[in-house]
Amino acid sequence: MRSALSRWADRFPSRKWLSRRSCLPPLSLCQTTVVTFRHPASLNALERYQQARWMLHHSTRAANPAWYQAALDLDLQLHIRVDGPCVTSLFFERRKEQWTNGPSITEIDLRDAAKMEACVADILKQARALKASSIGVILHLADEFATAELKPALDNPAALPDLREAAVQKPATILDDSSVPPELNSWRVLPYPAQGSGVIGTSITLTRKYAPFLTTLRQTGETNNFPIITHALSAPLVAVMGLAQCAPFSPGKSAVAILQYPWFSALAFFNDHADLLLIRTFQHRHLRQAPNLRNALTTTYASLELIDPDLFILSLGMELDTGLLSELSSAFPLCRVAIVAPQTPDSVPAWCPEPVIAAIQPPKGEAARSLTFSILRDEKWALQDFLPTPKEVGEIYPTRAEMQLMRGLRLARRGLCVLGVLVLAWFALGIADIVRSDAWTFNPAQASIIQSRLSNLTTERQKSEHWDNLLEDRSKAWTSMELLSRLFPEHCGVLIKGFAHTVRAESAPGQAKIGFVKEWKITGFARDEAVDRLNTLNTQEGITSQFGELARVTGNPAFNPAVRTRSLAVNVRTQENNTFKPLPVEETFDTDESSYPFNFDLTITQRFEGTDPLAVNVSKAH
Amino acid sequence: MNLYRQSIALFGIVLPVLVVAVLFTLCFTLKSKMLASLENKQTLFKSCETSRLKALEIETKIVLQRPHITHWTELLTEESSSAVNTHLRAIAETLPSKEFQKTAFERTSGKGGFGSAVAQPSSQLRIVFRGTFRTMQRAFLELESRMPQLQLQELRIDPNPNQQNPSPLLNFQVNYTAWEN
Repeated sequence: MRSALSRWADRFPSRKWLSRRSCLPPLSLCQTTVVTFRHPASLNALERYQQARWMLHHSTRAANPAWYQAALDLDLQLHIRVDGPCVTSLFFERRKEQWTNGPSITEIDLRDAAKMEACVADILKQARALKASSIGVILHLADEFATAELKPALDNPAALPDLREAAVQKPATILDDSSVPPELNSWRVLPYPAQGSGVIGTSITLTRKYAPFLTTLRQTGETNNFPIITHALSAPLVAVMGLAQCAPFSPGKSAVAILQYPWFSALAFFNDHADLLLIRTFQHRHLRQAPNLRNALTTTYASLELIDPDLFILSLGMELDTGLLSELSSAFPLCRVAIVAPQTPDSVPAWCPEPVIAAIQPPKGEAARSLTFSILRDEKWALQDFLPTPKEVGEIYPTRAEMQLMRGLRLARRGLCVLGVLVLAWFALGIADIVRSDAWTFNPAQASIIQSRLSNLTTERQKSEHWDNLLEDRSKAWTSMELLSRLFPEHCGVLIKGFAHTVRAESAPGQAKIGFVKEWKITGFARDEAVDRLNTLNTQEGITSQFGELARVTGNPAFNPAVRTRSLAVNVRTQENNTFKPLPVEETFDTDESSYPFNFDLTITQRFEGTDPLAVNVSKAH
Repeated sequence: MNLYRQSIALFGIVLPVLVVAVLFTLCFTLKSKMLASLENKQTLFKSCETSRLKALEIETKIVLQRPHITHWTELLTEESSSAVNTHLRAIAETLPSKEFQKTAFERTSGKGGFGSAVAQPSSQLRIVFRGTFRTMQRAFLELESRMPQLQLQELRIDPNPNQQNPSPLLNFQVNYTAWEN
């Protein structure tokens, strides 16, 4: 595993980021103030996330979309055109469509590592002075142009997209001549859309000599957290694309565009539909023009079977040989020979049209003059970047979608945090509420103590109630005697011969309390004046009144007739006294039974039900 | 490309969501447990509170009754027949001797009267007196006040059968059920 990671680390370059913030980088990035980013493939998942977060927090990649735009799409562009003898730089402010002179740059600035940084710093300074949030640096390479044939086996128009990709990633697989080292050169496929061209296209070759300059630009941008997007264009390809706007193609007439650069000339052959048939290049070899241009022209358009094509001369360099027009006019008298000068703004030299052609999108109609011009711009065949950011370096940074995802997730996490805090607060409040309650602090041991105490008290109360019940004044001798004396007071004309009072419990199995019956039997003799009393007693009202009065006087509740759970019954039987002897009143005395004309028998029955307050508990006291 | 996407998704949202979910689960579980515990404690607490109030209520009543209970307990610890005799002797000292005479006393341990229908131990006492009505009534009042455990079962009052020699003294026969502890 370790060796695999080491291989990744060796294989993929790391990028350095000069930390200018006080925030701490991820642990893996904390070694120095210069933060080194590593290729994500060499990191574990956590380190990868930390690196992405670091970039999110410490770079403008999330906020500034320029990091992910093409240089030609940015508002401020710096076009640097290198044609060998001179280097031209122009600023283009896209919104204003305004061209101004750029910083003074020399060939040495572009090639010498020692001077490169100062040059780049100056570019950055000027971009900031223009209050730009980003800058696109487009390098127009007009000092070299070479073609390399594609493998004949790949001569399939449908395979062009694959060939275009392969030219960037694996050029050796598509080139007929595989001896050219890929680390020193860059290839891009250029299609020949014209029918009858013989091949589907060719590859354009440029050296990588300006790659360090562009790399320095990008690194400076990353270091300063300022998007500097680079793009390296082949100037002749851009110029060919610009012919759509400036070359006077005649319908049904083939044409040859002669692109005159200081160090080489490129010939673009078009058929009578203005479609590209072939592109060739001729080095000047320290001369003012290509030595064999006329012969080459003659043989090429003869081989392409072009008949007296129009010859368009584009002079794309300062102080170039101006005799080419007359020379070609005399050499090819049947051909229309014309100088073509693309229109440029005042601040852009006329011999330097490529920046204008690349930066400004022409009206739709002009670009669609032929299939060639249409695809060169729309499919960007002429705008291919010859020195792009290496894939491994580009992969170090999260994509725009990933940065947007991180921003979105950051918001989601904040929402989650708020939710979490709310839930925690709810939880804490709930817990505080619970803990504050009396019940929470209640000690369960107290429950058993109180229960035990209650049990003891209940037992004591039951015992008390039990004895209270048993000792109730339900049956007392003295109250019964008081009843007798109140039923028949002295000298009321009654002689009592017998008094019997019995109390009988009424057993009721299964009941907690039992009722009882009290019975009074009084026998005696009565005189005439006592008969009314006996008759009164023999009524419910009479006996109830007597019991009520007795209860009030004695305080004995057993005689209270108002309780619904008890009943009272009376029966008086009066008979004539057989031993009665009528005598004068003064001769009679109270104890003489024969002086009473009647005898009587009084029975009072009082019944207490089992639900009566005086009913007797059946159970035993505990 | 998109080499960061999985890491961003994993650490950017999946893990935080999981952490929050675990946190929520823990909170909910803990709170649920605490609520369940609180519910139990509340039930216990309410029950205990009810018991405490009930105990207080009972105690308030018991406190008032306790002297009586103590008194009753003391009464009940004494053997019924001897207690009756003791009290009768004391009562007799306060009454005219000619108007209050105990002529018979009998104790039966078998159950009878109220005692036959209830589980509480009791004994039966049969006492015969001779005396005047009011004196006997005062004696009964005194005896039954001193010994509330006596429940009258039967009372018979008969006059002197000899009509030739009438006497104010009456014959009293009384049967009591005496509750015992």
